[in-house]
Amino acid sequence: MKKEMFISDSDLRALAQELLTAGTAVIAPVQKKLPLGERIEYARVQSPDQLVFNQAVSANSLKEFIMPPTVAILCWKQRKAEVELQEIPRDPTPQVVIGAHPCDAAALAVVDRVMDWDYHDELWFDRRNQTTILSLACTAGDGTCFCTAVGLAPDSSRGADILLLPTANGFRAEVMTDKGEKLVKAHIPRFKDLENQQPLPALEAAKKKIAANLRMDSKAIQGLLEKGFEHELWKTLGLACHGCGGCAQVCPTCHCFDIVDEPEGVDQGTRRRNWDTCQTAKFTLHGSGHNPRADQNCRIRQRLMHKFFIYPEKFQEVLCTGCGRCARVCPGGMDLPEVLKMLTAKAAL
Amino acid sequence: MQALRTLARKLLTEGTVQVVIGYENGPRGARPTFVTLPEEAERLVFTPGCVQNLASYLSPRRNHLRALGKPAVVVKGCDAKAVAGLIRESQLKRENVVLIGVRCGGVVRDPALFEKLSLDTVADRCGDCDNREPKLVDHLLGELPPAPPASTRMSERMARLEAMSHEERFAFWTEQMERCVRCHACREVCPLCFCVRCLADKTMPQWIESSAHARGNLAWHFTHAMHLAGRCVGCGECQRVCPADIPLSLLNRKMAQIAAQRFGYKVCDDPQVPAPIGAFRKEDEQEFIR
Amino acid sequence: MTQATQNPEEGQDQGFEPHIAAFVCNWCTYTGADLAGTSRLQMASNVRIIRLPCTGRIDPLFIIKAFERGADGVIVSGCHPADCHYTAGNYHARRKFTLFNDFIGFLGIDPRRITFSWVSASEGQKWADVVDETTSRVRQLGPFTSYRNLSGRRHAGA
Repeated sequence: MKKEMFISDSDLRALAQELLTAGTAVIAPVQKKLPLGERIEYARVQSPDQLVFNQAVSANSLKEFIMPPTVAILCWKQRKAEVELQEIPRDPTPQVVIGAHPCDAAALAVVDRVMDWDYHDELWFDRRNQTTILSLACTAGDGTCFCTAVGLAPDSSRGADILLLPTANGFRAEVMTDKGEKLVKAHIPRFKDLENQQPLPALEAAKKKIAANLRMDSKAIQGLLEKGFEHELWKTLGLACHGCGGCAQVCPTCHCFDIVDEPEGVDQGTRRRNWDTCQTAKFTLHGSGHNPRADQNCRIRQRLMHKFFIYPEKFQEVLCTGCGRCARVCPGGMDLPEVLKMLTAKAAL
Repeated sequence: MQALRTLARKLLTEGTVQVVIGYENGPRGARPTFVTLPEEAERLVFTPGCVQNLASYLSPRRNHLRALGKPAVVVKGCDAKAVAGLIRESQLKRENVVLIGVRCGGVVRDPALFEKLSLDTVADRCGDCDNREPKLVDHLLGELPPAPPASTRMSERMARLEAMSHEERFAFWTEQMERCVRCHACREVCPLCFCVRCLADKTMPQWIESSAHARGNLAWHFTHAMHLAGRCVGCGECQRVCPADIPLSLLNRKMAQIAAQRFGYKVCDDPQVPAPIGAFRKEDEQEFIR
Repeated sequence: MTQATQNPEEGQDQGFEPHIAAFVCNWCTYTGADLAGTSRLQMASNVRIIRLPCTGRIDPLFIIKAFERGADGVIVSGCHPADCHYTAGNYHARRKFTLFNDFIGFLGIDPRRITFSWVSASEGQKWADVVDETTSRVRQLGPFTSYRNLSGRRHAGA
C-alpha cells in the first residue's frame, strides 16, 4: 500500500463530477428505477448525486464494463470475390469505478490470470488498463455473501487501485497501485490527510457475519473434484437446474464467450464477441450432433469443476469471489454456498 | 402439508412414480426439489413461498430428469395450465405423469420474501387467477385459502404504456432492450419453450441476431412473445428469472389480451381446448385488412 | 412515380422516398400485381415484391427483418378468405397478422407502416391502389430510422 489518505463523501462526489467533466466515464452503484420496482446496480452515472454507498451487493457485476455482453471486433464488406475487413476502433474512454464491491474488484484480478495465459487478450486488457477502481469495503453483505470462504474479505484490496474504508465522516482511502496514485495526484485537493479517521466498527461486524455464512475447505474440494468426475453426487446436483445460464451472466468471474459473424445485408456484416455460458445445451454441441455434455447434470459438474478444480490447478486460486449473485438469481433455487458446504463435508469423509 | 407428504410417500413406496417433484424450504426460500425415496418426502412443503412453475421440469428438454422415471408433480392452478399445454402439444402423455394439485391462495413474487403474502409481495399472476382449484389433477390437496391480494402493478404499468404515443413506447422498449444480455434465461425457464432447436439459435439463415444489441434483442423478444401467443400461461417465471429485471410479462400479458379480445381465448388447464394459433374461424375479425 | 404522389408538401423530408417491401402470395396477389403491370397501370415505384407460395408462409420475422434492413414500410397481401390456393393458409395467416398488428403497436412500432390486404389475381387496380396508399402513408410517416438505428449498445453497462 502506497499511502493512506482521507476523502469525505462530498469530496468523493466532487471527484466524480471532476471526472465526468473531463470526459471520463464514472461507474458506480446507483438506485436504478425499473418499470416494476427498483434495484441497486452498477451503471455509468451522469451526475454525482446518483452514487449510492454502503448498500447491499449490486444486482450486476463489473464484468460488463470490462467485457461487454456484445462487442464488435471487425466488420466486413464483400465486393464480388474480394472481402474487405475493417477493424473496429476500440473505445478509448477512460473509466473510473467508484464504490466497487471488493468481490467484484477481486474478480477482475482473478480473470486477468486466464486472459494473459496462453494468449494476451487485448480486448480485455484494453478496457482493464483504461479502468481505475476504487473499491469500497462492504458493511451491508447479506446471508448469501461468502467472500471470506474463498480467501477474500469485505475489506479486501485485491484488484483495487484505491481501497475506501467507511469512517464516521467519509472514507479512509488506501492507495494500492500506481494507477491509484495517479488518480490521487490528479485530484489532490479532494484527498486530505488521514488524521485519526478510523474505519467504522460496522466493518468488523460485517467481516464476522460474512465469515459465519460459509466455512469451506478449498483444497479439500479441489481434491474431491479432481478424483470425483464419476461421483454419484452428479446424478442429483443438477436436477433443479434449468440451464438458463443466469448464474453465468451475473457471475463476475465467468468469462466464456462466443464469436459470431452476423450479416447485416447481403454483402456486409460484423464479427462480434458475445457472452456465452457452459450451462446451455448448445455450448458443447458438435456439428455432428454429438454433445459431450449431454444433460444438465454434466453441465453443473463442469461449472463446479472449472471454478473449484481446473482454475485452481492452473492458477492456484478458485474462479469465484463469493459475491453470491448466482444463488440469488437462480430460478431453481440452487445455492452455491450450500453446495460448497456439502462438498467440504463429502471431502472430509 | 402432511397430506402431501403422506401421498408422496405412498406413491413412491408403491412404485406408482419414481420421483416426486415438489417444493422444499431452501436457504433462500421455497425451491424445487426432487424426492426419490419415501423417507425424503418429509421435506416437501407447500406454502405461499412456492412460486416456481414446476411444469417446466416436464419439458422434453430436461433429459436428465426423464432418466429418473415416471414423475409426480405438485401443481398450482397456473402450473396445471402449463402441463395442459405440454399435453395439448404432444410433448407429454397424460398417463406418464401423476399430477398432485394444491388449492392455492396466492404466492409471493420472490421466494426470498418467504411466506409473507401481502399486496406488496404477491406475485403478479395471482390477481387474475381463475384456477385456484386446478382441474387437471389426479389428486387435489389442501383447504381452499382466501383469495390472494390482487396486485395492480402490472395492469397499471400496462395502462401507462397504452397511454403513451408510439414514439414513447418505442423509447421505453428500446431502453429495456439495451439492458438485455441475451442470456435466454427467459426461454430456458419457460415450460412452453420446449423446442430442442430454437429459431433464435439458427444461423443458416440467421433470422434473429444472437448478439446482445437492441436490434437483435428486439427481434428476439418479439419472436418469443409471438411464439408463446395463446400458449403462455402467465406464470411470470421469465420475468422473475431475468438477470436484467426486464418486465417481460408485459409482453405476454399484451398477447393474452389480444388473444382474448380477438379470438375469445383464455388459457386453461384442459388439454382438449385447442390453442388459438393452429386453429381459426371463418368469421375471424379482419377490419384492419384492406 | 406518378404526378399524384410527387407532392413536396407531403412527407417530413423533402425528397424522401420510402423503401417498401411487399410479401405477397404467388397465386393471388402476385398474379394481381402482374396484371396491374400488363394493364400498364401507373403506381408508385417504391415497392419491392417478395413472392411466397402463400400468406401462411409469412413469418412475422420477415416483417421485422425488412425493417432491420432498411424498409420504411411493409405490405403483406394474399388471397381473399375462402380463396386460398392451399385452402386454409390465409386463415392461419389472418390470425398471425391479427396478433402481429395489435402487438407491434404495443412495442412502439406504428402499425400504419404496414398494410395488410387481400388482393386477388383479377384485382390489378386494387394492387395499384394498395401500393399508392401505402407509399403515400409511409412517406408521411417519414423514414423508419429509429428502427434501423437500433444497432450496438449505447455503451457498456447502459
